[in-house]
Amino acid sequence: MSTRLVIRRAGPLTTIQDRGRFGMLRHGISASGPMDSGAFAAAAQILGEAGPAGIEFTSAGLELDMVAGECRIGLAGGLFVATLNGRQLGWPAAAELREGDLLAVGPGRAGNFGYLRFDKTIAVPAVLGSRATNLRAGIGGLEGRALKAGDGIDLVPTGETDPGMSRTASGDGPVRIIWGLHAEVFAPDLRARFLSEEFRVTARMDRMGVWLGDPGGVFKGAGGLSLVSDAVVPGDIQIVGEGTPVVLMRDHQPTGGYPRIATIIGPDLDRFAQMRPGTHVRFESVSLAHAQTLSALRSA
Amino acid sequence: MRAADGSEMAETPLLLPLGEGAMLVRFGATLSEAANIAALRFTKRLEERPIAGVVEVVPNLVSVLLRYEPERIGFQRLAGEVGLLLTARIENADHAGREQKVPVAFGGDDGPDLGEVAERLSLSVEAFIAAHNASRLRVLATGFAPGFVYCGFHPEKLHLPRRKDVRPRVPAGSVLFAAGQTAIAATDIPTGWHVIGRTDLRNFDPAREPPTLLEAGDEIVFEAGA
Repeated sequence: MSTRLVIRRAGPLTTIQDRGRFGMLRHGISASGPMDSGAFAAAAQILGEAGPAGIEFTSAGLELDMVAGECRIGLAGGLFVATLNGRQLGWPAAAELREGDLLAVGPGRAGNFGYLRFDKTIAVPAVLGSRATNLRAGIGGLEGRALKAGDGIDLVPTGETDPGMSRTASGDGPVRIIWGLHAEVFAPDLRARFLSEEFRVTARMDRMGVWLGDPGGVFKGAGGLSLVSDAVVPGDIQIVGEGTPVVLMRDHQPTGGYPRIATIIGPDLDRFAQMRPGTHVRFESVSLAHAQTLSALRSA
Repeated sequence: MRAADGSEMAETPLLLPLGEGAMLVRFGATLSEAANIAALRFTKRLEERPIAGVVEVVPNLVSVLLRYEPERIGFQRLAGEVGLLLTARIENADHAGREQKVPVAFGGDDGPDLGEVAERLSLSVEAFIAAHNASRLRVLATGFAPGFVYCGFHPEKLHLPRRKDVRPRVPAGSVLFAAGQTAIAATDIPTGWHVIGRTDLRNFDPAREPPTLLEAGDEIVFEAGA
């Protein structure tokens, strides 16, 4: 029996994601994957076992109609408000969807990204080994684009399952970085101020990057440098234009020529992705060894 | 540094962490033929002798990115392996790239900057096209966008900086010229390079595996007339 849902309302940048399309950087394609990979895994864990792909929705939320069949779902990420036929679910939540049901996720108190996962597979073709939508390259997911009202999504029994994973949240402290590819082009006192001043998350954010406000003027006049284009990883903080820091996210350019002062460590990049516009953020430098220990502890 | 097979490496590369799961083996801080060739040669060596724990190898203009699993190999151990590989004697690790012909329709709506480029180089359009196509170019790297290839290098007399303005969108197949290089756009992209023509070659097709046709090291011969 077929299982089908139809999107009734989707916020901007709602996309189908899986863990990511790895191994394609040499073809100029970044991995994409969930902005908050820990929350993506948590949505599978609360469900017990999920298909490899899910829907990443944004702060405006998501509404969908179950038009055929049934499935079980897991919801996690940020702090949203979800209702099933008007009845409020907890958060995170697991629930059963049957034909005729209306699932609505509205804006909540915290976070930019939430995840909806199923006990089935989203029936979109894997492109280069992944169903993750890469909006920059226009591949994966549903026709390589964001989901919108009216889109139908078919679910099929899954052969591959993802058991999910509980991950220790990385706390409320400063966002931890290791020094970046071009840290040495920034003067020592500028690097010191990068760690002592406060930055702000701005509303200019998408799956490619998050633009930071710099009220302390740390990078004022520090832009304009053009370097040989080199490999980029998610979490890299590059300085563009007249001196604006931009954190590169999951749909980053595969290479870039702006100077990069630091890289947000993996365990803190999820937390950073969930910071809403206006959030104050400080950075703390850690050693590579410490970053790797934190990373190992988190996925243990 | 001289490799054990007698060939010259550009310089001892810098090994830099890029986040906690990647190492950049960088052969120069600026773009040069020597650094690019060293990056390419090191990539071939890695393909010949993979390092356990390294999950992705990506050649760039002057560097090679190694994504690795820290629980399988630490940065220091990986640095040791990289050092060994740089000096190892490996037969046939430096095989030449394939030759690829790229037909280009120069000028017109497909290449709006052709006239200006020729003029700034004090050449007629015909002489510029002839000089451009006479350059021995190879793919330096894929980067910036899916299937986007940088090809170099043209001789000094054909060097021209990028445009001041960025065009928000040029179509897939656009042939771009700047900084001693010709680049080929495989998707619609924004660019500050001079747009001199268009090719029917599409170096990106997500339905194909691998999705690109050209790779770093391939020799490129541009030909007039698409």
